[in-house]
Amino acid sequence: MNDGLATLAGALMASSRLIWLVPVLPLLAAAAIGLRRLRRRGGGDAQEPRTAGLASGAALGALLLLLIIDTAALAGLSPTSVVAGEWLWIGAVPVRLSFVVDAWSLPMATLVALIAWIALRFSATYLHRESGFQRFFFGMSLFLAGMLLIVLAGNAVLAFVGWELAGFSSWLLIAYAWERPLATGNALLVFLTNRVGDAGFLLGIGLAVWTVGSVEWAALAGDGTLSTVTARLLALGFVLAALVKSAQLPFTPWIARALEGPTPSSAVFYGSLMVHAGVYLLCRLQGLLVQVPDMLALLAVAGLATALYGGLCALVQSDVKSALIFSTVTQVGLMFLLCGLGFFWLAACYSGLHAAWRAYQFLLAPAYMHMVRRPARPVPRWLANQGWLYTATLQRFWIEPLASNLLTRPTLALGRDVRALDERFIDPLIGAPREDEKAPLGAPHGAASLLAGETANTLIRGHGIAGRALLAFADRLQLLEDRLLLSGDGVLTRGLQRVGHYVDVIESLLEQPRYLMLMVMATFVVIL
Amino acid sequence: MAEVSIVAGCCHLPVLKILLLLPLVGAALLSLLPTRSVDLMRHLASIVAAATMLCACLLVADFDPAGAEFQFFETRPWNPRVGSHLALGLDGISLPMVVLATLLSFVAIVSSTGIRSGARLYFSLLLVLETSLLIVFTARDWSLFYVCWELTLIPLFFLIDRLGGANRHRAALNFVLYTLGGSVFMLIALLLLYDAAPGHSFAMADMAAGGAELPVKTQILVFLGLLLGFGVKMPIVPLHGWLPLAHVEAPSPISILLSGILLKMGAYGLIRAAATLPAAVQALQDWLALLALISLLYGAVLAWRQTDLKAMIAYSSISHMGVVLLGIAALNPAGLSGAVTQMVAHGLAAGLLFLLIGLLYERTHTRDLGAYGSLNRSAPRFAVAIVFTLLASVGLPGSAGFMAELQVLVGAYARWGGWLVLLSIGILISAAYALRAIRCLSTGPERPFAGAAAGVTAFADLKRSESAAAGLLIAGILGIGFYPAPLLSLMASSVARLVRQVGA
Repeated sequence: MNDGLATLAGALMASSRLIWLVPVLPLLAAAAIGLRRLRRRGGGDAQEPRTAGLASGAALGALLLLLIIDTAALAGLSPTSVVAGEWLWIGAVPVRLSFVVDAWSLPMATLVALIAWIALRFSATYLHRESGFQRFFFGMSLFLAGMLLIVLAGNAVLAFVGWELAGFSSWLLIAYAWERPLATGNALLVFLTNRVGDAGFLLGIGLAVWTVGSVEWAALAGDGTLSTVTARLLALGFVLAALVKSAQLPFTPWIARALEGPTPSSAVFYGSLMVHAGVYLLCRLQGLLVQVPDMLALLAVAGLATALYGGLCALVQSDVKSALIFSTVTQVGLMFLLCGLGFFWLAACYSGLHAAWRAYQFLLAPAYMHMVRRPARPVPRWLANQGWLYTATLQRFWIEPLASNLLTRPTLALGRDVRALDERFIDPLIGAPREDEKAPLGAPHGAASLLAGETANTLIRGHGIAGRALLAFADRLQLLEDRLLLSGDGVLTRGLQRVGHYVDVIESLLEQPRYLMLMVMATFVVIL
Repeated sequence: MAEVSIVAGCCHLPVLKILLLLPLVGAALLSLLPTRSVDLMRHLASIVAAATMLCACLLVADFDPAGAEFQFFETRPWNPRVGSHLALGLDGISLPMVVLATLLSFVAIVSSTGIRSGARLYFSLLLVLETSLLIVFTARDWSLFYVCWELTLIPLFFLIDRLGGANRHRAALNFVLYTLGGSVFMLIALLLLYDAAPGHSFAMADMAAGGAELPVKTQILVFLGLLLGFGVKMPIVPLHGWLPLAHVEAPSPISILLSGILLKMGAYGLIRAAATLPAAVQALQDWLALLALISLLYGAVLAWRQTDLKAMIAYSSISHMGVVLLGIAALNPAGLSGAVTQMVAHGLAAGLLFLLIGLLYERTHTRDLGAYGSLNRSAPRFAVAIVFTLLASVGLPGSAGFMAELQVLVGAYARWGGWLVLLSIGILISAAYALRAIRCLSTGPERPFAGAAAGVTAFADLKRSESAAAGLLIAGILGIGFYPAPLLSLMASSVARLVRQVGA
């Protein structure tokens, strides 16, 4: 009996060593689906169960593995962190394949795997006979891998990999109906907005390498010697990343556009899982954040503002998904407020509960109209009476036009100016042959141009300063070449001809008999 | 008197003599054939050329790369009163030239399908030319060298004059006069050396012994005479007047030989002259480099200026031989082995270019760049081969030209440093004209050619025998480009001996 228990305990302890397998399983599923698609094996009804099975099987595998590790952790048999190997070195700072196995990560990871598994099972029928069936499951598996990596990663770099993977798969799934320009446009906008947060994340990693000398979550809080400025900068990077990922003000508009994708993906991405990644990141970094009270204040303000904004906007939405997403934003804003007030544990619990509830609501959204008999509630009277507030909520507080006016348009104008500069000044100088396509190539020349000294040739053209100089130089050389060497009546030949002419004259004179006689007589004179 | 040497290899079969006599025997056989059987003549000549090539390969197999001295050496008195010898021998510098000469002769003969009238004369002259070329590269006696040097002129004169293009008479005359003019100075220089040589001998070793004893000023004078002779052939810039005309007007197989191997005679002679007159070369080193850089830029710029394909390649040859001269002028192992590599590389690349352009001309009767377009649609094998060759002639990494230019650059940089920016400019310009040629030939709209209805551009792609000839040269270029070690080790000890002799 004791032996059996000991074996079980050993197995449980060993199980936490396998935690790296949790994010890898969905990644493998994504790779398998992608390969099958590449080999044109994924098409048709017959292949659908296999694709769906691969994705949900991987999710289920991850879930079961996590449950075993949960058990081990509950029994107090697992270490709080696992290092699966060394990945790379940034300067003198090692980046290890480390994972955290603690009370923050395990429940969240288990919840992620569970919700994803359910959503995948749901999608298998929901997306039946859709043209992008395989693409959808590929994206979902990729997302699951990314999300699990964010939650389980023991250091910032590994988490960033998951962070990007989630962003990328979100882009893939928003542009699911790629035939529609609106979908691809929205996907681009969401991806670009998310890149702002990625920049913050990268800034955080860079600062961590530079100032703390480690990228491990546990070491990131520093040993108390971190100066306020450094800590504030470090926190700012990660806070920015969290604000963007969780769609807090002023980055909220992207989440409304992200609903373009299929409903199950909206459910797991924006309803329940990805939107909470920011909250999770804040919880991870609480050791650092409590050192910087003003950053906490910022979080509280942003959270409160977002909660108000989301709440107001939710009241005036006319479709189910938009209403749901704004209420989600409200709840996440409240979580940020909690984080800002220092109640990290509460925020984490809140996020778990909220994720489960929202996933249910979103998966139900397509059937909502059938289930709810009564008409939608009208806008509350107090809001309807405040004209300007009502307009503002309808317009979602003009955040998007504002961003477009302040950021997008000036950037576009700058791009136009730089392009004009390029075309008018730099290209002519360097000599990019732009007009080549328009100008006709030289018509076939009958005569060899070897002896032609003119430059009226369409093939030989110099572009830019260097090209023109070369052309002028080449023309000079060609002239020289023609004059001196190639033409038959060159200086040398002409001289030779003249000499030959004289010699000819002398020769013909000598041939005439009188001169011959004269020479003979002269000889005789000399002899005599 | 006689050179101390290792008579290496198998003595029971005088491969070297067979190599030299085979083409002559072939020429004699050709004269027995009836005039009508043109194809038979070509096949016979091809077989003889192939056998000669095989002999050259046997020589390579027998050659001991570690031996610095001349191998397969044999000598017998020719005219004892004058002190001339029939002396033959090979070292790591002449052997690549011999192989190149046999290879290009073979390619030239195989690709001479367009010659119908006067075929007997044509093929016999080609074979005689091959023999005299091979003797130039194997001679170990300056008199033998000089005689065969002049002997190459006679077949070439008739080949250009009889079978060339519109301006062939002027081209042939120009060519012979230029070369003869140079040879006169060479002869005078050789006679001066002969005077100084111990025991009045024309043997190269004796002359080198005598030449090294001369005072520096005399050496410089003698060297200038030799430089005039070799510089015409190479050509170095003010002396290049014969080249564009001759290359353009000669029938394409002759152009292959002219630029592929005839030019190398000049460079080869210059290397031998450097070994004979070390003090003079050292004194003139910088001037030689200046001449080399001028040739390089002059040829490149004028090549860029041409629209006639053959003229373009002719001028590019001047530019590439400038690289050879620069390598020789560096007088260090890297530079010299770069020069020899460049000789081989340019022989292969220019030979291949002339081969392809000749075949194109046969089909389309135009050499004008503007007349072509979209070859890769109408004649894909042509397009691939031409694009490859043009890139190889620019010295793209992976081709033989790159190995050569790199070594020359390394060798010359050690001496002249920043001046080599001129070499880079030359290479840049060569890239410009090669890429333009590629653009004109293989992109753009398809164009009709003379004799074809408008819109019909179809002409025959490379035939099997033509592909084989081109493939042989392409394989050579790629082989040296990717695995230059055998060639470099073949010449390494000879180059080291040369550097020792020059004493730089």
